[in-house]
Amino acid sequence: MSEPILSMRDIEKSYTGVHALKGVNFDLYPGEIHALVGENGAGKSTLMKVLTGIAPKDAGEIHYYGKLFNARNPEQALNLGIGIIHQELNMMDELTVAQNVFIGREFTGRGGLFLKDKEQNRQAAELFARLNMNIDPTERLGNLTVSRQQMVEIAKVVSHNLRVLILDEPTAALTDSEIKELFTIMRDLTSRGVAMIHISHRLDEIDQIADRVTVLRDGENAGTAKVSEVSKADVINMMVGRVIYEEPKSESTVSEDADVVLEVQNLKSGSLVNDVSFTLKRGEILGFAGLIGAGRTETARALFGADPIDSGQIKINGRLVRIESPQDAVAHGLGYLSEDRKRFGLALDLGVSDNMAMASYDHFLKGPFIDSGKLQKVAEHYIDRLSIKTPSLEQLLRNLSGGNQQKVVIAKWLIRNSDILIFDEPTRGIDVGSKSEIYTLMNELAEQGRSIIMISSELPEILRMSDRIMVMCEGRVTGELDIADASQEEIMKYATMRIKSNLGVEQDV
Amino acid sequence: MSDIDTTKVVKQKKTMEKIIQNAMAPAALLILYLFFGFFGRNFFSYSTFVNIIEASYYLGFLSVGVTFVIITGGIDLSVGGVMMAAAIIGGTAYKTWGWSMEVSLVLIIVIAVGFGFFNGIMVSRLKMPPFIVTLGTMMISMGTGSIVSNVRSATFPSRVNPDGWFKNIFKIITENRKMIPTGAFVLLAVVIISYLILTKTKMGRYIYAIGSNKEAARLSGVNVKRWEMSTYVVAGFCAGIGGIGFAATYTTVMPAQGQGFELFAIAGAVIGGTSLRGGSGSVWGTLIGVFIMAVLRTGLPSMNLQAHYQTFFTGVVVIGAVLLDMYRTRKATEVKLVRPSDRYKGSMLEKIAKLQKEKSEAKDAGNSERVSEITGEIRSLKQEMRRNYSKMKADEKAEEKRIRAEERAAEREFEEALRQQGQDEKS
Repeated sequence: MSEPILSMRDIEKSYTGVHALKGVNFDLYPGEIHALVGENGAGKSTLMKVLTGIAPKDAGEIHYYGKLFNARNPEQALNLGIGIIHQELNMMDELTVAQNVFIGREFTGRGGLFLKDKEQNRQAAELFARLNMNIDPTERLGNLTVSRQQMVEIAKVVSHNLRVLILDEPTAALTDSEIKELFTIMRDLTSRGVAMIHISHRLDEIDQIADRVTVLRDGENAGTAKVSEVSKADVINMMVGRVIYEEPKSESTVSEDADVVLEVQNLKSGSLVNDVSFTLKRGEILGFAGLIGAGRTETARALFGADPIDSGQIKINGRLVRIESPQDAVAHGLGYLSEDRKRFGLALDLGVSDNMAMASYDHFLKGPFIDSGKLQKVAEHYIDRLSIKTPSLEQLLRNLSGGNQQKVVIAKWLIRNSDILIFDEPTRGIDVGSKSEIYTLMNELAEQGRSIIMISSELPEILRMSDRIMVMCEGRVTGELDIADASQEEIMKYATMRIKSNLGVEQDV
Repeated sequence: MSDIDTTKVVKQKKTMEKIIQNAMAPAALLILYLFFGFFGRNFFSYSTFVNIIEASYYLGFLSVGVTFVIITGGIDLSVGGVMMAAAIIGGTAYKTWGWSMEVSLVLIIVIAVGFGFFNGIMVSRLKMPPFIVTLGTMMISMGTGSIVSNVRSATFPSRVNPDGWFKNIFKIITENRKMIPTGAFVLLAVVIISYLILTKTKMGRYIYAIGSNKEAARLSGVNVKRWEMSTYVVAGFCAGIGGIGFAATYTTVMPAQGQGFELFAIAGAVIGGTSLRGGSGSVWGTLIGVFIMAVLRTGLPSMNLQAHYQTFFTGVVVIGAVLLDMYRTRKATEVKLVRPSDRYKGSMLEKIAKLQKEKSEAKDAGNSERVSEITGEIRSLKQEMRRNYSKMKADEKAEEKRIRAEERAAEREFEEALRQQGQDEKS
């Protein structure tokens, strides 16, 4: 092989309480797509931050074109040919596509006073043509789909005479056809000599797109291999350092005559919850499957009182209840674990015990004051029971890993003693190790007689955890499956059962 | 092993950091006081001290009230206007309408709390931006004060009048003309109660939770509307007490007075470390912030600088305080790397500690020979450690410096190449 274009040696980096990189090595050769994988908190993003100058390294060497070099900031990195596409896109919705591409280096006329929009649009069109992207430079960016916006961002970065392109989970928000389109563009770029670092949680993708894969574990190298020479299981083993089996549940563990704790009838809310009915039994894990935008989260939010209910009935333990706010829902024993923990589940700037007690301060009152001794005891109990890794009770949630943050949210509802728990994408953004811990925990809770609604977009997760599965599509329940009869194919059939075929419309913009 | 060391270092650093953090504002206040004491005329006197305390009353109440609102991530621009409106209406009720003093004072509180309710409803129920609502309330309250008082100033009874009894709440003048600023105790009481509410009660926890993440609080079943509303009511109530304090201290309340008070109140909270982003802050900090402004206000004239310098320097202090706060949070999240040299030092210190324990055991056993033996060992270990540690440290520094220098050289080279390329393209 030729000389590496980029070579990172013994990179060290620490954050408060976290030794994120412990002497990591990484090589990148011209024209290769190099997958970088690892559990959350393994150090992938940190390594890329160091590379692009977003975060300074503490120690170690980076060689770029054979020279010792480390960009001081992302702008400099980009100028010298190292570009990164973040998971969340950083662009201006209100500007046009071309204005976004050339932001910061606009074309100006003589004297630099007025902008030459036409010239800019022409250049952008040329750029898109060169990259085989079919995008109108004069379109307002906000009008494009996420995948199109991502392409614009790629084009923007590529237009900087790019040598190294870093993609941080680029496929997280894309549909299958969009992913295919992205991969075509990625392959096309490598043929132009651009080397790529592809960070991903989806191991299936790596087979399709990458040449080599490097696995990080706990801030250290766990191995690097050619993709053609390793199996998915090998990669997972490298990631977690042990073997994990993901076998589907074979039959429901809930007895036929278990009490119905929750009965939802003809629920309507907004445009994405249409006539939804289902029941939930004591000790049951009820999976909600479906595609993104099928209305599952919206159903959960309506049920929890977070969004207004237009019509329908909710019975809890056989009694008709009115749920007009999350407060009502909590009072009726519901707990909701949002898919977006940071926005809807946690106060990142408060400590562990404060977050745990947020739903149940009433249980910790001694007269008008909070019994902090009791609170501390309870918090410690749950830290121990859920094995939450935190240096102290006061540690800010911001400084915990995704898996531990999720456990704090679970503790919040356990402390509230909620009987019906809604887990919305319980393992999103959580590493493989913590994932199985959370699965075990959910099973334990069900065994103890709590009832769980689990919304998940990962079919293996649905098949592994659920006793029964509701499938939704376009705001309606399109199927109900017992776990014994369920398969990925069966679920997908119901998940794509549209009222009218509008596939063409969906793919265009 | 090395990981545990890291967290230890961080923890120690954090507590140190915390002590410094908590001591910073009081220290600034003390330094400022001493500064004026040494350079100002007649500053170290009882009467000046009373002046400082008096200058802090009404602002103190406003500032404490507004701290509640700011912690939820809101803002209250109306507190100054509300305070003056409540005071002038109370004065009018007493003087023009002939109400009794007691009822007039209650009226002041009721009016101020009423405006607080109005703000709270607009913000929490109608979801209006607090800035706009309270800006409107500021003007409405000022206008109301002028309308009700018929644009005449309201004069409260003087001390000789039996109805002037309420002045004693804020200042007692003894028979030999000695002044006791009892208002300081009122302010202190309000601060202590506020402190207890904010840190020890459900309401306080929810206020911080709302400021830190309103939606997460709502989805935890917290009655966000109610608690958010309550902070505006608290701000109104505090403005009411401030109004009584103002009336007691200055006797005459003029219509349309009080413009800009709200900004000083917010400044007090900010100087005290309350973040306008919400989720953090303390009333003790606010109290210090208010006293810093009060010291400036009394101190600057003692240096022959007119009162308007106060505004100037308060502005400087506000910006300085925020800069300092940002620097502090950055420092607090910064991590010291444990390098091989630190790890070496740690292991050596451990060894020495072990020997020291052995030594004391030997001492207890009366084995003097062994004691002197160990003492020698410790000494040589310490020497060895010092020598090696400083050498390792120097090597590490040199290595880092080398890398950095090489990186900078490459940077220049790359940029030069880029420029060359650009020129080639042009020509």
